Amino acid sequence: MSRAHLVFLLLVKAAWVRKDRSLTALLSITVVATMATVALSVYADVGTKLNREFRHFGANAIVTSPQGPLDSSQLATIKNTLGGRGEVVPIAYAIAQEASGSPVVIGGTDLQAFHEMNSSWSITPASDQQGQAWLGARAAEILSPKGQDFQISFGGKSLQVHPGAVYRSGSEDDSRIYLDQKQFSFLTGLQPNIVQLRIDGSPSEIENQIQKLSAAIPQAEIKPVLQITAAQAAVLGRTRSVVLAASAVVVVLIILCMVATLTGSVLERRKDFAVMKALGASNSSVNILFAGEATLLSIIGALCGFVAGSAVAWWIGAANFGAGIQPRLGLLLPVVVGSIILALIAATAPLKVLRQIQPAGILRGE
Amino acid sequence: MFGRLLFESFRRQLRRKAFAVLAITLGMSITTAMISVATDIGDKLNQELRTGSANLVVTPLADSLDVNIGGVDLKPASEGAFIHESDLPKIKGVFFRHNILGYAPFLSASQNFTIGGRAITADLVGTYFSQPVQQGNENFATGVRTVNGFWKVEGNWPADNSADALAGASLARKTGIRIGDRLQAGSQELRINELRITGILSTGAAEDDAIVAPLHVVQQVLGRPDAVRRVIVSALTKPEDAFARQNPASMSPAAYERWSCSPYANSIADSISKVLPNVRVEQIRQVEQNQGNVLARISGLMLLLTIASLVASALAVSAVMAATIIERRQEVGLMKSLGAGNLAVASLFLTEAGILAIGGGILGFAAGVVLAHRIGQSIFGSSITVPPVVLAIVLFGALVVTFVGSTGAIRKAMRFDPAVVLRGDA
Repeated sequence: MSRAHLVFLLLVKAAWVRKDRSLTALLSITVVATMATVALSVYADVGTKLNREFRHFGANAIVTSPQGPLDSSQLATIKNTLGGRGEVVPIAYAIAQEASGSPVVIGGTDLQAFHEMNSSWSITPASDQQGQAWLGARAAEILSPKGQDFQISFGGKSLQVHPGAVYRSGSEDDSRIYLDQKQFSFLTGLQPNIVQLRIDGSPSEIENQIQKLSAAIPQAEIKPVLQITAAQAAVLGRTRSVVLAASAVVVVLIILCMVATLTGSVLERRKDFAVMKALGASNSSVNILFAGEATLLSIIGALCGFVAGSAVAWWIGAANFGAGIQPRLGLLLPVVVGSIILALIAATAPLKVLRQIQPAGILRGE
Repeated sequence: MFGRLLFESFRRQLRRKAFAVLAITLGMSITTAMISVATDIGDKLNQELRTGSANLVVTPLADSLDVNIGGVDLKPASEGAFIHESDLPKIKGVFFRHNILGYAPFLSASQNFTIGGRAITADLVGTYFSQPVQQGNENFATGVRTVNGFWKVEGNWPADNSADALAGASLARKTGIRIGDRLQAGSQELRINELRITGILSTGAAEDDAIVAPLHVVQQVLGRPDAVRRVIVSALTKPEDAFARQNPASMSPAAYERWSCSPYANSIADSISKVLPNVRVEQIRQVEQNQGNVLARISGLMLLLTIASLVASALAVSAVMAATIIERRQEVGLMKSLGAGNLAVASLFLTEAGILAIGGGILGFAAGVVLAHRIGQSIFGSSITVPPVVLAIVLFGALVVTFVGSTGAIRKAMRFDPAVVLRGDA
């Protein structure tokens, strides 16, 4: 039997004989590894999860073209630059006249895409019927208080508007009428001159995309909606800081708890230490045995903790954001190595204290 | 006898007891800090977001439609209805006045300016920057600096009682306006006809193409004293739920009272519309609806993290308590061999656990308050308030955790034969 094999058997036997003590030590290490895994997984993923939530804020950048309407190649360039990481809703605006001759702003767009972009608006009744107009709440009060059809005109042409839905936005859009793009083109013959963009990603990714778009379409002006991007940056920064600070506090305190448990457990074994020394074991042999036991327990505890922590992190993501936080295998090594180092410190530090006492003294109960 | 046993146990096993108290203190400080942070983070972020952007807009009820494309207001300034500026302080006098963080009025019209002999046309927007206002006995400053935190100024903000102004970043780029330039407004009859540019304004919105000046300047330019066209209000609100969306007109008196006393955006809007005659108050839905959802997600995240932390600290404390009892099996054996019954032994150990729990709980609460305070100061610049009820929760939690951690180990220790335990074979 090799020496290593003998030491291993000794460690397993020591753990088995004192099952209660080993289990409490194992539990402490597992708890630390679990919380470390949860904290790191949540911290690493919270940005992505919150950025997804900010998609519901709608347009976070606006493209305008001071030199006239945006043509189809420019719209294609915008879509290609975003590469599926966002939504593009072109809108054409014009000022039409209602029956009394008062001006009213009309917009022409893909109403379904426009609805998805502005999902926070309150829309009643929701209507997907083709050929119907969406009226802002104020426009509806003035132009169609009972939901009746009304007429608008532009450049000598007239259009009978069938109100399909009334929306509330809390912005100047409440004074506007949105028409399907075909109806709008029929009335005005105008092409889109504004594009609402929802760029997915973090504030820095949004900024990068805006720069890319500005370079790709130099004749257009692309501006971030600072009200949204600033809120996103503030929320993300603060939330990540809070998660980091709270996690750091929890993990550090639980580590201290674990170290207290392991240190106490080793100090309670002072008689084992004294017997080993009395039988002639060297300091290094005793260290190896105690450190070996701590390492064995910490590896098992860290593996259990990683699995439990990944499961808890997944549950937190699924329960709160509707999508679980995926296990990060990259965290396994830091968690295992960290657990081993902490367990070694906790298990071997008390031995220095014990070495200062004569084995005979310990065995006498001093 | 029981008291002496208890006293001696603490006197002779100071190190062991210190470990146990340390573990409970650590566990309970986690509990205190996490509960405090989780319950306060929603309010802190809400406050942060509210200083970033307003969430309610007030417009005249009898107004004609806005004619605004790409931020350019095409409606003649003479048209439509206005809100009286002198009525605005009443916004801070509503039932939810403590939820109203500030407001900013706006009045704008397209104007001709002259700069260095060149003529330019741009929107002239009047607003409060940080205007001192009095409502009742309360003095406060309000304006875009309070409610539009996303407005960034390169240079200096103008004073509200001056003829200074900001130039929008896009307008400055296109026309070459720089800080220190003086703009002559087109109107000859204007008393204040020169605006000094003190800063360049970036908002990502229509103001980037405008000249933004103190409200009184624009009122004079337009000959509309005391008039404002629109007011944005920043109010701390509760995220909307199904009850908030109900129509107040169809509610029972009791339900209406509950609705009107809850700080929903709709109920705050309702209370503002009662003090300002002939206005419409609407949520800025892109801000209000979505931020409510995000805050709910973040509060939920912190709640779940808190639950995970509490379970972890409970397990850690239980492990320490179990380890403490396990090491005292010989004591149990000795007490039993001297004739102590199971009840007496369990009482002694559980009383010890109770004392440790209360001591550790109080220390942990104090440490947790300090930790929560530090987290609040370092991240939000203001301390996190710890509700007194957390102390009761912490003490109760400490007692439960130590009893649960101790009970199993005590029962196991008492099952052993005293002779076997005293020989050291157990």
